[in-house]
Amino acid sequence: MSTTAPTRERIEQDDEVAEPDVPWVVIVWNDPINLMSYVVFVLQKLFGYSRDKATKLMLDVHQKGKAVVSSGPREKAEFDVFRLHGHGLWATMQKDR
Amino acid sequence: MPAVFKRVGKDRYRARLSHEEVEVLRGLPDQLRSVLEEAEPDPVTERLFPPAYRSPEDSERQAEYRRLMQEELLAEKLANVSLVVSTLDRGQQRQRRWTVELTEEEALAWLGVLNDLRLALGVRLDITEDFDGLVAPDDPDAAAKHLLSYLGWLEEHLVQALSA
Repeated sequence: MSTTAPTRERIEQDDEVAEPDVPWVVIVWNDPINLMSYVVFVLQKLFGYSRDKATKLMLDVHQKGKAVVSSGPREKAEFDVFRLHGHGLWATMQKDR
Repeated sequence: MPAVFKRVGKDRYRARLSHEEVEVLRGLPDQLRSVLEEAEPDPVTERLFPPAYRSPEDSERQAEYRRLMQEELLAEKLANVSLVVSTLDRGQQRQRRWTVELTEEEALAWLGVLNDLRLALGVRLDITEDFDGLVAPDDPDAAAKHLLSYLGWLEEHLVQALSA
């Protein structure tokens, strides 16, 4: 019995490796109503970004139509989306691939 | 003209508005409340409670997100409405302008309500291009567009005060 145990352990470890923890990205999409200054304010408030970083992200949203504003495990991404929705930003999340 | 919103201390703000502006604003929180409490999904509630997951393969997660989060989002938005109503009731005429002092929490509630009102109006008016605030005189939606424009102006001032 004792000789089979290590093998089983190794298989379980392999299974974990086979399902990598893919990070999720949070995307803010352009919309015609939200003020540019408001979007900068919200990104600073929610994520603690500097005004420069928040402004760059806002300009990406405005000019390119979207920007990735945060990333991480699914639960964190969902929480970020929830807070963005609470502030009226059009945010979605998807696997980063 | 005095600043509409001004930071007057740590986490303290002052709103100063004309009598006419306050009369316009008084009717709006109730309208927002009925939009938020609309039972049937419509384009406005879709915008105020957007999906978190876009991919069809995440449809179960999206259903779960909606089930868990929509009620909480709604509660936050309704709490903002109540705070704004209480400050509108509290304001007083001072030096020919209506004036009220706001805590940080109340100022943020104003910001949330102004933004939700504008999002709702934007959907109702089917605005899909960046809105520059210009309204043609013969536009059948002129009144609503002027309101959208005014609320944007007000919100811009509030963002500036909160960022100051």
